Amino acid sequence: MTVLASSSSSSPLQFWGYFMDHRSEDLGWLWDHTWLSVLPVVIGLLIALPLGWLARRYRWVYPPMMSITGLLYTIPSIALFVLIPPIFGLGALDPKQVPIALTIYSVALLVRVVADGLASVSDETIQAATAIGYKPVGRLFRVELPIAVPVITAGLRVALVANVSIVAVAGTIGMSNLGQLFTQGFQQSTPDAYYPPIVLGIVLCVLLALVLDLSVQALNRLLTPWRRAVRT
Amino acid sequence: MKRTTFIAGAIAATAALTLTACGSDSSKSGTGSASSSGAGSTATIASKLIMGGPPEFKTRPDGLPGLQKNYGVTFGKYTVTDTGGPVTVSSLKNGQIDAADLFTTDPAIKSNGFVILEDPKSNFAAQNILPIINKSKATDGVKKILNGISAKLTTSGLSDLLTKVQVDKQDADAVAKQWLSDNGLATTGSDASGVKLTIGSANFPENVILAQIYAEALKAQGASIKTTLNIGSREKYYQGLKEGSLDLFAEYTGTILQFIDKTAKATSPDDVYAALQKALPPNLIALDKSSAQDSDAIVVTKATADKYSLKTIADLAKTG
Repeated sequence: MTVLASSSSSSPLQFWGYFMDHRSEDLGWLWDHTWLSVLPVVIGLLIALPLGWLARRYRWVYPPMMSITGLLYTIPSIALFVLIPPIFGLGALDPKQVPIALTIYSVALLVRVVADGLASVSDETIQAATAIGYKPVGRLFRVELPIAVPVITAGLRVALVANVSIVAVAGTIGMSNLGQLFTQGFQQSTPDAYYPPIVLGIVLCVLLALVLDLSVQALNRLLTPWRRAVRT
Repeated sequence: MKRTTFIAGAIAATAALTLTACGSDSSKSGTGSASSSGAGSTATIASKLIMGGPPEFKTRPDGLPGLQKNYGVTFGKYTVTDTGGPVTVSSLKNGQIDAADLFTTDPAIKSNGFVILEDPKSNFAAQNILPIINKSKATDGVKKILNGISAKLTTSGLSDLLTKVQVDKQDADAVAKQWLSDNGLATTGSDASGVKLTIGSANFPENVILAQIYAEALKAQGASIKTTLNIGSREKYYQGLKEGSLDLFAEYTGTILQFIDKTAKATSPDDVYAALQKALPPNLIALDKSSAQDSDAIVVTKATADKYSLKTIADLAKTG
């Protein structure tokens, strides 16, 4: 909306001035970037929990499931943005294609993490839980999953931070997120470099990744009070 | 024209689509003929020059094959640079190439004193800028506003706007507003009140400025506007236009015609415009075309133009 300050300097350090000049636009992109990074991990975890449990419960499921989810992760994100609309019956520019693509990646990362997390529960623990009367379902939710929490949250941290960077790619198809700042900077860099929007995009992405990462660590501490009790 | 920019910019975005699109091109790519015929006792000027441009210029019908067919011009060598971007400009400036494929609105042409060689045989199809709009949104009021903009848009005027965004680093929406008020188009009113439009743009500055000009003018006349800017591929946004998730887009007559109809042969502004009106799907219409064109052009430095006294592309085929 404003033009005065942004026309003055191309120094990378001018990113703060650029931010102040384009605040409402930038904050809108930051908000979109945030929910686009978080929502797919939440949905992805909900899908990955039963799949991971399956891979743990029936050992023969593990190798093929890990291969398939691993393959999903190798699909270039930008190709997904071409493939998803026809497959899911969405319009070419439907914003839903971004969370769908990221959910696929999150599932790919989290299935292995859930399976390995459950595998980290020792047989002695399971036998003890069974001995004191836990049925399989109760044992899963009250003994195995809580013990697997540290492994699963470690995976969540990776998935969240990966999403923050992949979301930016959706900027290339015009989707509203911090990726737009990179397009902006690139476009205005043709005769000579113009860094402020690019640096601002990097700074905001890194800050967002840090905040999300710290939130998951906090969540981990909250869900595993016994670990603190042991240490102190 | 700028279609290739999107492919380069979002090369993987359109991987699936461009692969199929390029497949047909590469199968008939005979580039060898380009360099073989120029040599001989009567060497042409072109045979002493190195031409630079985007990769597909070697095989595109209006690229090297078209220059050979229309003007008998065959360059000594072809070097791949980029699609009318910084690499091409700096290569031309520092003499790594002698002639370049650039876009006519590029501010770098003026600022470096480059010379555009005239194209009397219309090797490059006309690329008049015009609004493509969803029929259901094209009320008389909306048409009046957009045609009013097209009436004032000129190639050099557009080049000035690009300079403001790319060189002076101003915001596209501010530049758009300024242009509207400079041209007496910033009047507020109710010509478009009640109309809801989603305006899209491709991911290069000129197209963003055009989308902002449409947006600001329609907003001032009471329309409610949403913008989806910087869409990285024509495959994506053209689909959006056809589906109705986008209502309005600034397009280039020659490029959009080629995109819809690969066999289109028209080159003059009026022929291309007429062919485009026929080729568009029933839910899209082309409003008035502006005189502003952003087309490919063969560009040389002032020194080269003086040395060989070049004015048109045909001059390159002379012996010198």
